[in-house]
Amino acid sequence: MLKVEEISAGYQGSRVLDGFDLRLEAGRVLGLLGRNGMGKTTLLRCIMGLLPLAAGRIALAGRQISGCHPYEIAQRGVAFVPQGREIFGELTVEENLRLGCLGRRQPLREVPASLFAHFPILAERKQQRAGSLSGGEQQQLAIARALAGAPRLLLLDEPSEGIQPSIVLEIAQRLKAVVRESGLTVLLVEQNVTLLRRLAEQVLIVEKGRVAADLPVADLDDEELLRRHLAV
Amino acid sequence: MDQALLLALDAGSYILAIVLVAMGLVIIFGLMRVINMAHGELFLLGAYCVVAVEGAGGNFWLGLLLAPFAVGLVGLVVEQLVVRHVYHRFLDSILATWGLSIAIKQAVVLGFGPASQQVSLPIAGSLSLLGTDYPVYRLFIMAVSLAVVGFTFWIFFRSDFGLKARSVIANRDMAACLGINTRRLDRTTFAYGAALAGLAGAVMAPIMSVDPQMGLGFLVPAFLSILVGGSGHLAGALVGATVIGGTDSVTAALWSPVAAQIVVFTMAVIAIRLFPDGVVGKRRRQGRRFFGERR
Repeated sequence: MLKVEEISAGYQGSRVLDGFDLRLEAGRVLGLLGRNGMGKTTLLRCIMGLLPLAAGRIALAGRQISGCHPYEIAQRGVAFVPQGREIFGELTVEENLRLGCLGRRQPLREVPASLFAHFPILAERKQQRAGSLSGGEQQQLAIARALAGAPRLLLLDEPSEGIQPSIVLEIAQRLKAVVRESGLTVLLVEQNVTLLRRLAEQVLIVEKGRVAADLPVADLDDEELLRRHLAV
Repeated sequence: MDQALLLALDAGSYILAIVLVAMGLVIIFGLMRVINMAHGELFLLGAYCVVAVEGAGGNFWLGLLLAPFAVGLVGLVVEQLVVRHVYHRFLDSILATWGLSIAIKQAVVLGFGPASQQVSLPIAGSLSLLGTDYPVYRLFIMAVSLAVVGFTFWIFFRSDFGLKARSVIANRDMAACLGINTRRLDRTTFAYGAALAGLAGAVMAPIMSVDPQMGLGFLVPAFLSILVGGSGHLAGALVGATVIGGTDSVTAALWSPVAAQIVVFTMAVIAIRLFPDGVVGKRRRQGRRFFGERR
């Protein structure tokens, strides 16, 4: 599904990713774990086309997407839930979701009911300004908005950030249901090991812009190993 | 009483014409962060479109109908050739569009000469309103402007296109990540803003002296309106134009046009001091924090 080959990228002179390689099969959920500043978010931004590559290439289902504009990449089936959620706070919940539907290659004018079925709280708050939602609700909105585009690949950047633990579990549960139903492929950047354990099957440890280790999710129980890779 | 009504009507038609120009500026600035210094010349082109059509033997109404489309088309070309290269480069956008305004002005001088042109008044009669006679054509200007302002609000707040445009204004990169074709949106919006200016120029042509300098006379109050009203919202143009246009025409009628200029500028300075983001101002957008301003 997703093939990231030897990519390098960064910001104004500092290289964050350096020859990063990744392969993701369709229908799999892959976790990315690593300390801050190791290039996880940068990788997602590169895949989404928000950051130009200095080297390497990225392909989706056999077709090159690196060099494309973000909207083209989105229309080819990649959806992005960025860190900080980036919902449109001034727009209503429904308008946020409709934007996801309008961004499809074949635009959809109405939000499909199935989306609300997965996130019932959003149906309740449909007419509310998105900025007035709680953090957990905003995160659900950001995920639902991404799903509204009917993506093949979902990029999630720290969905648990700033959200209380009980809500994190709820979000994990809803995501899991969506993934199970739709066969979605997911690339999940996350520091929260609990969430990773619930969702991911395989976890890559990222260090200094490269993959340092490739582990089955069960290995996250190994405290010693976690400390080695994550302790500051 | 009669005097007051006349004044209100005059102010109203002036305000609405400024609104048309200011709204185009707000839309373009909101979406692309481009300050379009050539917007006054798009107004100018609208007026000359009517002159050209009349010169070719057509009548005013044909010119009026054609103007928004012709100027919209000019906008499309200008966007493609100039404006898209300076998106999000604030200072460059001012210089580039200023240069463009000079070029358009000179092109008009070459085509029509520097002298002012007359456009015949298409509706001559006047209407009795509460015992006061008022030219019908001025009422027509107000009706057209009101309709177009209403239509623009409808587009931006009720249509899918408007929803997409508002999402791009709020957070361009995130909108693109949802699959919104930001490039096409920029182009369409610029052309629409240009068409608004063109229409304003055409509809105002019969009651103004149509000359190559006429654009500036509308660009300045339109800019002041946005500064006073706020650039973050369409309603800002409406509020700002009401304040600026209203003050200008009332002071000019009661006192003198020169005094009106002084009053308007003084008021603008005070308003900007009190409301730095405009009367309908919005807090700085937060969406760009994460994404940066790459494109």
